[in-house]
Amino acid sequence: MTFSINRRAFLTGGAGALALGVINPRIAFARDVRLRLLWWGSQARSERTYKVVDLFQDANPDIEVDGESAGWDNYWSRLATQTSGGNAPDVMQMDYRYIFEYARRDVLLPLDKYMADGTLDVSNFSKDSVAGGQVNGKTYGISLGANSVAMMINKAAWEEAGMDMPQPGQTWEEFGDQCEKLTNTTKRSRFYGCADQGGLEPAFETWLRQRGKQLYTADGKLGFDEKDASEWFSFWVDMRERKACVPADVQSLDQLTIETSPLSQGRAGACFAHSNQLVGYQAINKDPLTMGPYPVKSGDSRPGQYRKPSMLFSVAGDTENPEAAAKFISFFVNNPDAARVLDVERGVPESSKMREVLKKESQEADRIQIEYIGSLGDKFAGPLPPPPPKGAGEIQLMIKRKNEEVGFDTTSPEDAGAAFVSDAAAILERS
Amino acid sequence: MGNKMTGPAAANIAAAGPPRQKTHIPNHPQRKPQPTSWLGRAWQGSGPGYMFLLPWFIGFFGLTLGPAIVSLYLSFTDFDLLRAPNWVGMANYVRIATSDPKFAASMGVTLFFVLFSVPLKLAFALGVAVVLNRGIRGLPVYRAVFYLPSLLGTSVAIAVLWRQLFASDGLVNSILAEFGIEGPSWISHPSYSIWTLIILSIWQFGSPMIIFLAGLRQIPGDMYEAASLDGASKWRQFFKITLPLLTPVIFFNAVVQTIDAFKAFTPAFIISGGTGGPINSTLFYTLYLYQEAFGFFRMGYASALAWVLVVIIALFTAFSFLTARFWVHYDD
Repeated sequence: MTFSINRRAFLTGGAGALALGVINPRIAFARDVRLRLLWWGSQARSERTYKVVDLFQDANPDIEVDGESAGWDNYWSRLATQTSGGNAPDVMQMDYRYIFEYARRDVLLPLDKYMADGTLDVSNFSKDSVAGGQVNGKTYGISLGANSVAMMINKAAWEEAGMDMPQPGQTWEEFGDQCEKLTNTTKRSRFYGCADQGGLEPAFETWLRQRGKQLYTADGKLGFDEKDASEWFSFWVDMRERKACVPADVQSLDQLTIETSPLSQGRAGACFAHSNQLVGYQAINKDPLTMGPYPVKSGDSRPGQYRKPSMLFSVAGDTENPEAAAKFISFFVNNPDAARVLDVERGVPESSKMREVLKKESQEADRIQIEYIGSLGDKFAGPLPPPPPKGAGEIQLMIKRKNEEVGFDTTSPEDAGAAFVSDAAAILERS
Repeated sequence: MGNKMTGPAAANIAAAGPPRQKTHIPNHPQRKPQPTSWLGRAWQGSGPGYMFLLPWFIGFFGLTLGPAIVSLYLSFTDFDLLRAPNWVGMANYVRIATSDPKFAASMGVTLFFVLFSVPLKLAFALGVAVVLNRGIRGLPVYRAVFYLPSLLGTSVAIAVLWRQLFASDGLVNSILAEFGIEGPSWISHPSYSIWTLIILSIWQFGSPMIIFLAGLRQIPGDMYEAASLDGASKWRQFFKITLPLLTPVIFFNAVVQTIDAFKAFTPAFIISGGTGGPINSTLFYTLYLYQEAFGFFRMGYASALAWVLVVIIALFTAFSFLTARFWVHYDD
């Protein structure tokens, strides 16, 4: 749902779409093997993906790849519907949140056989990054890039106000003070220090982990209590009251997409997101952006963030062409030309060789991202949490709603915290 | 509507077949030999009729009745798209009736929407129809222009446009700013967001307006003539002549618009980004149903929600028909 495409982006997109239609080389050849590929993401991601598909087809004249993309919201209903109808795409983009669900239901193909015979080459992947796609010891997904949560910062907004940007290692309170100051000093109209992220699940999770708690335990229960939730909502009440973050009616326009974020809407100097999204954010923001880690509890608090596969490729369990699918994924993560096209839009490549390729030729935004992931170290990034239980998607929406309830003064942070814990527990029980 | 009415009605006529006595006229040289089987006879009588109805039958059985029956079955299961459905009996319906806070919340939002949008829209449509009925020059043009929003109404583009109009820096607030008023973001404030949807619905007054116009044309002019000779004011004429004679049309419009309002989905979906937010203030029943089905993959539960909606709409419609005889005046 893009509400803020500017005219140039629209024209570029239109021209791109036209060009794809007119000079589509795929029609010209009769190919023996046909693969269907499905992914979610922005226009920028689609353009890159189609280019790699073309590269792959040039290198493999016998394989045809039909790509199809959707927004995050529609993606999962489309994928589930197709899978349920026995019509799953051969290669599908997969998320850490869902891979366990799908793998447990035997609708994904274990890829270990193809990794062993070299069709799917992961020799330059670290052990951890391969493990990110494993369920019960079998590999069901190949990571397309590493990311972590990150704060997107509108560099220009902070600089023109004569202020330092939020720094790594800052506490939440210090961050709040700085945002308040930006709201007070900026000359931009109706512009605030940061977005109201009290309803953002990854922000809450990071904050919990810094206090030694977690969102979900390994056995799928809540890993925090009412007090944690209440304090979290209170922090954002304070942020709103001193106008450090945007007011509730501005925040509730945010539909958890890059386009609708208060940062992209020109209303906030910072917002919380994921590191690979810097490419997408920069694509629609005129001001130069940069990014840094989330604030911390205190100077020596536990690491709240973690590195994870930003997304993976999985293969449908009932595909007719497992070899070709493995070959395509291998090309996607190992071919230098593909790496140049894909860049870091899906996260920093897992293959060390591809990282070298990008480092040599990288541009500003890529460099920021590669350095960012590299700089997290043990201070900011801890171990990967257990996979979220079923029902986590619903709870993610509920955090947003509870924060809105507090933001619009229909409930107190204390009551919201208590209600959140009991409602979330009920959802987990039901799922 | 027309399509739905003609289908089964025509099918009934076709199924009745030709009158019995014609089937056996012995030794008539001009007549083709009659098929002896029941099926063959039926075919000769009504086969062509069925053939012509075939496209409708395929659509009705394949796309409407079949899925409806399957969804009735699924409403008694825990189907989640990926695994085969398990029979859970009445569990889904029990949960809806006893322990689903979102069911009550979303039904409340939908009822609020129905109760305000339908009367306001009908009043607006009637008002415009009465004005247009005074023999204004260029009536067809006005009619077309006013009807246009109804055609565009449920489209995604209009919902997106609405979002832009009522956003914090949208057109509405720009106009208010001229008067020194700083308006909130109407679509994303829980107290106002539902009203932006009601206004959107009222704006689509075209189709009831056209029907009202047709109804107004049917009222004989000599009634007004007689009334004005007796000294009745325009207002009195409206309430004593126009409204009573228009009640069948009002009734029809009210029933159709109420059903439509219960089913409203697209505007709330687009304007809230599918969340029904802020704070469930635009969580229409249909949107909640969609979330359960395609957001959280509870197809079984969502099917149960759908059937509950069918029953609720049926009850409302039945109630309308029962009360109709107290206020609808048929001209006979």
